[in-house]
Amino acid sequence: MSDETKPGLEFAGHEFARASLDACVKCTICETQCPVAAVTPLFSGPKFVGPQAERYRNGDSVDHSLDYCSSCGTCTLVCPQGVQIAELNSQARAVMKADHMPLRDRLIGQTTLMGTMMTPVAPIARAALHNKPIRTIMEKVVGVHRDAPMPPPQGQTFASWWAKRPKPAKAATRGTLVFFHGCAGGYFEVETSKKSVEVLEYLGYEVIVPKQGCCGLAQQSNGLFEQASASVLKLCDDLRNAGKDLTIISSSGSCTGMLKHEAHEIMGVDDERLKDVGTRIRDIMEFLLDLHEAGELPTDFATIEMTVPYHAPCQLKSQGMGMPAVEVLGLIPGLTVVESGAVCCGIAGTYGLKKEKYEIAQAVGKPLFEMVKKTNPNLALCDTETCRWQIEQSSGVKTEHPIWMVHRAYGLS
Amino acid sequence: MSRVIVIGAGLSGLVAANRLAGKGVDVTLLTKGIGGLQLGQGSIDVLGYAPDRVTNPVLTLSAIASARPAHPYAAIGAEAVHTGIEYLKALLGDLLVGDAEANYQLPTAVGAIRPTCLVQPSMVAGNVTDGARFAIVGLRRLKDFHPKLVAENLSRTPLPDGGRLEARPVLIDVPARDGEVDSSGLTYARAFDDPAFRDRFAATLKPQLNEGETVGLPAVLGLKDRGAWKDLSEKLGHPVFEIPLPPPSVPGMRLNEALTALAKAAGVRIVNGTRVVSARVEDGVVKGVTMATAGAPREFTGEAFVLATGGFESGALAMDSYGTVTETLFGLPLQGLDDGPLVHGDYWSAEQPLFSVGVRVGKDMRVLDAAGAAVHPNLFAAGGIIGGSSRWAEKSGDGIALGSAVRAADSIVEELA
Amino acid sequence: MRKLAVDVVVIGGGSTGAGVVRDVAMRGYSTVLLERADLGQGTTGRFHGLLHSGGRYVVSDPLSATECAQENAILSRIQSEAIETTGGYFVTGPDDDPAFADKFLEGAKATGVPAREISVAEALRNEPRLNPRILRAIEVQDGSVDGWQLVWGAANSAKAYGAEILTYHSVTKIDTADGKVTAVHCTDLKSGEDVVIECGFVLNCAGPWAGQIAAMAGAHPVDVIPGRGIMVAMNHRLVNRVVNRCIYPADGDILVPVHTVSIIGTTDVKVDDPDNLAIEPREVQQMLDAGEVLIPGFRQSRALHAWAGARPLIKDNRVAAADTRHMSRGMAVIDHTTRDGLDGMLTIGGGKLTTYRLMAEHIVDAMCEKLGEKRSCRTADEAIPGSESGRTYLVTHRLEDREHDRLDDQIICECELMSRKMFTDALATQPKGTFDDLRRQLRLGMGPCQGGFCSMRATGIALESDHIDIERATGLLRLFLKNRWIGLWPILYGDQVRQTALDNWIFQGTLDVEHLPQPESEVAL
Repeated sequence: MSDETKPGLEFAGHEFARASLDACVKCTICETQCPVAAVTPLFSGPKFVGPQAERYRNGDSVDHSLDYCSSCGTCTLVCPQGVQIAELNSQARAVMKADHMPLRDRLIGQTTLMGTMMTPVAPIARAALHNKPIRTIMEKVVGVHRDAPMPPPQGQTFASWWAKRPKPAKAATRGTLVFFHGCAGGYFEVETSKKSVEVLEYLGYEVIVPKQGCCGLAQQSNGLFEQASASVLKLCDDLRNAGKDLTIISSSGSCTGMLKHEAHEIMGVDDERLKDVGTRIRDIMEFLLDLHEAGELPTDFATIEMTVPYHAPCQLKSQGMGMPAVEVLGLIPGLTVVESGAVCCGIAGTYGLKKEKYEIAQAVGKPLFEMVKKTNPNLALCDTETCRWQIEQSSGVKTEHPIWMVHRAYGLS
Repeated sequence: MSRVIVIGAGLSGLVAANRLAGKGVDVTLLTKGIGGLQLGQGSIDVLGYAPDRVTNPVLTLSAIASARPAHPYAAIGAEAVHTGIEYLKALLGDLLVGDAEANYQLPTAVGAIRPTCLVQPSMVAGNVTDGARFAIVGLRRLKDFHPKLVAENLSRTPLPDGGRLEARPVLIDVPARDGEVDSSGLTYARAFDDPAFRDRFAATLKPQLNEGETVGLPAVLGLKDRGAWKDLSEKLGHPVFEIPLPPPSVPGMRLNEALTALAKAAGVRIVNGTRVVSARVEDGVVKGVTMATAGAPREFTGEAFVLATGGFESGALAMDSYGTVTETLFGLPLQGLDDGPLVHGDYWSAEQPLFSVGVRVGKDMRVLDAAGAAVHPNLFAAGGIIGGSSRWAEKSGDGIALGSAVRAADSIVEELA
Repeated sequence: MRKLAVDVVVIGGGSTGAGVVRDVAMRGYSTVLLERADLGQGTTGRFHGLLHSGGRYVVSDPLSATECAQENAILSRIQSEAIETTGGYFVTGPDDDPAFADKFLEGAKATGVPAREISVAEALRNEPRLNPRILRAIEVQDGSVDGWQLVWGAANSAKAYGAEILTYHSVTKIDTADGKVTAVHCTDLKSGEDVVIECGFVLNCAGPWAGQIAAMAGAHPVDVIPGRGIMVAMNHRLVNRVVNRCIYPADGDILVPVHTVSIIGTTDVKVDDPDNLAIEPREVQQMLDAGEVLIPGFRQSRALHAWAGARPLIKDNRVAAADTRHMSRGMAVIDHTTRDGLDGMLTIGGGKLTTYRLMAEHIVDAMCEKLGEKRSCRTADEAIPGSESGRTYLVTHRLEDREHDRLDDQIICECELMSRKMFTDALATQPKGTFDDLRRQLRLGMGPCQGGFCSMRATGIALESDHIDIERATGLLRLFLKNRWIGLWPILYGDQVRQTALDNWIFQGTLDVEHLPQPESEVAL
């Protein structure tokens, strides 16, 4: 490794993932489930770039085809032997990019910055992002594909709404929760955050929303490990400031994953603060399911006669808890939830935004887009924001976070 | 509704889960990956060699059950295997054909002849018969199938019933996708799902076939489209059969996807996560098992548990660097450890005793200790975790999986009633 | 019956013989090399893969240390393709005597072995798997070498100078007349044909078998003590530098990264028969424990393959016969004229692979002296064919190569990134080769799956090549799987058990390979 390699790349985490390559017995299961290998010969597959190529890595990065890995994490999820394939790939890619990180990849990770800049000028920003000539220039200059789904700028941040809203009428009866909205939930998917806290308050919880930053996921997935590590630890401080031992709820599936395991397993962040937050954080649908299993979830839902497609995002599946949303939604009378059966929507965070990856991402998501259109052309459900934007853009079907349905069924909408 | 936890998504886990759900039981299936069915040949081996080639599996397995009390079939019994076979056939509709009383004798990808009991319809025409004339067709871009190796070994092998067949190799080049010369079987299977590809393929191959030949192809004839092989056969104007390949096994994937979809449709909750790493036992009864889920471990509680975790290949059994063998979830007592060295240096003669190690079970598939008592009253085992046989050598793994899964499920249903 | 006549017959196709035949040919003699198996199947193919910096001997055997340092530099230059300049560390383990490192540094200075102490922090930064409790670390210029590439490189150089390399030729008789060697008889084991080679000189480079060859010429017994040592290859490079324990040489004190694996070794037990080398379970455990000192968690790492080799050590009166480690590694040239009244033969024993070129220089100098001829050695001056660029091997090479040709050619051995073209090219040069002969050139089957996926592919391709028929193809597959098992079962634990289970599932469950038509006699060559 060159002497100029950024210190964020020297980590015990690399050894942990690297050591797991010993578990690979070449069974090919990961390759059969990889959504990128399924649509293009340019990617040799997770087994090839992961445990197989890792035995050859020492300093020089020579296998640039690795960059086609979208880091969806499906490979690690399906590996029967416990090889940390996706983690290996992410690490190897970060090393590969360390010396020549494209400007685009630096910018794309600055989700908080984007949000802060776009909110005050939301209508203009929104118009700009849908303006063909502007997008064409963006594609040429920055490398973001002209048709890639963009975050929808909102006129008010969640934090601002939270600060200004009146306190809930009902007193809390169940205790206190911390709400982690994430960048998207703070700037772009504000409605999702609002509905989330409204449901939690309806259930009798007091919700605290501390001042909070970015989990660093977009930076991490672009190989900016140093910045991402700093971001995630700062976020841990923010969340811990809200109070000791409180459960933290998130309605951003992928950010939850970053805190629960990715920051540690991919970047080797080994800090008490991360361990603390990582064990206390729950995805909101996971939390509702846990309540239900304990017999504590009110199930007096209104009937919603509807068949609706649901897609479990990769980064939710890789948390290894199954699909809590399907089970919770299954409690709503009249509602038929059809699991997509698709591996990945293709966006993989920022992967599908990139000029050179866009077509691949569209091909990856095609079976999902078709399934969604066929199942219900008016509504689809998905727990992660970038996936929602991708599905909506490519299928034309409005896509919401499952909590909207719960909100509706509790009569809160 | 009661709650049963099935651990493992291989053949035995999926069958147990389906059977339990079909009887109204609330089932959660926990798995690290997506099971091992796509590593296998996509047919159901009940009993192939004992040690000679078996023609009537269910009959021979009764004999084994009597002669070898430590063999899984002794506990499972022929009746349960029979039930399992019929159950699986019914469950999968037209995806499997065959009967418990007869083995097909099918060509393998090295040109051996393998006995197997239930097969996919796309394999049936390969059943070897005296006087058969096979054209074994390989694809240049598919490196896992070598038609000359298959054809010449088949041709020089006396058939099980006596007689011979003639097989000749044909090698063609039809790309699965542009720009790729090293295509996996799965990539070809996806191509075969496309009727336009099948047309191209048939057009290339047909002129090279002789009249009266049966066409043997690598098992890549479609993944989603169950009728792809038949359509191809019609386009070629010749009977066609598939020969299973090393992983990725497309026929195995078909079974895996079908059984998984059926389980979900039956209401089985499938949690694909990390390994189940520990169990909570109180007063000798298993109360719950814990997965090392991201963030914080997650416990799954239940009234009965089916251990369908597989053998050494899945890590359910492990041998450490000191030679100590353990069952890695519950630490269960194992059989087969006391008969001398587990591994020996003779590759081609006797089996390695290591691979016959596993748990003991009673007739109800409860896991037993060395004295024959149930280790936990609500812990059952199915499939490769059960010791006492060399499954790959005997070609008995699937029959053991089916019979034990059905017995375990039925025992649990009786218990819960 | 085939008849040849050459100046010099070289017996033994290990590093010594290959180095000798190259030197002989370069000095203008007509020559033939005879080896009863494939090149490098004796000691050379079973060694540690280490290109010594000399560090190991700075205290225990200073002469060897200096020679190693010098030859290390020469080989890295002339045989670069076979060599990886990994660098090395000598580390003081947590329970080792830290004062030995001082002796080490003094010895290094005295013997001219480059060595520099570095901080433990730096060592751990560069090798994250190293035991964090090491006390001291010294940086040296160890490297790793592919033994087969080494011998074939030298052999190919000899061929370029007109030598003939006859593998699978077993020496059966050495004729003498009037106290002088006149001819060597051998059998071509693959064809069964006998060959008689008239010659003026025989150079006996047969390593642990040198005694048997000398006896064929009627010499008094030559005491070559085979010192057996085992080696265990771990599935991946736990370290990227050679790591040695900074102690007086002991068992299991070196871990060497060679290609994609890291090899722990070795033991040292006197044996009688170099053709029967067991891999003792006790020694395997010893190696794993030794590995654990260097790399915590070593036992949880995957052991991939094990083998045993026999060092050819000339008996030395200074040390007890049973303790072979402390015999001098210096070479010994046995002059049969004075000893046995036999002209025209020299036997060489002892030595190590790092100094193979120097050994060859000594023996060929001795031969020239005997012949009364002045012909100088140029082997250090000229690069081996293929190493002209001086570019040493990097472990990333194959990955880079496949990155470039992945869309144009199939990868047959995926673990070791061997392309189809590499296989068919090698097959063309060795149409009668076994898959192990090819494996030694290509690393086919040497990765994690140990032939699980690639053996069938290799069989199919070899059959398509039309050099072999179906019987031989099937027999070669059987032989390959059988031979792989020799090095697997002694270290079968952990992840490798899972691999074996899957491989069995494929071979037996899916392919039913054991029920292919049984051969009348197994293919052995």
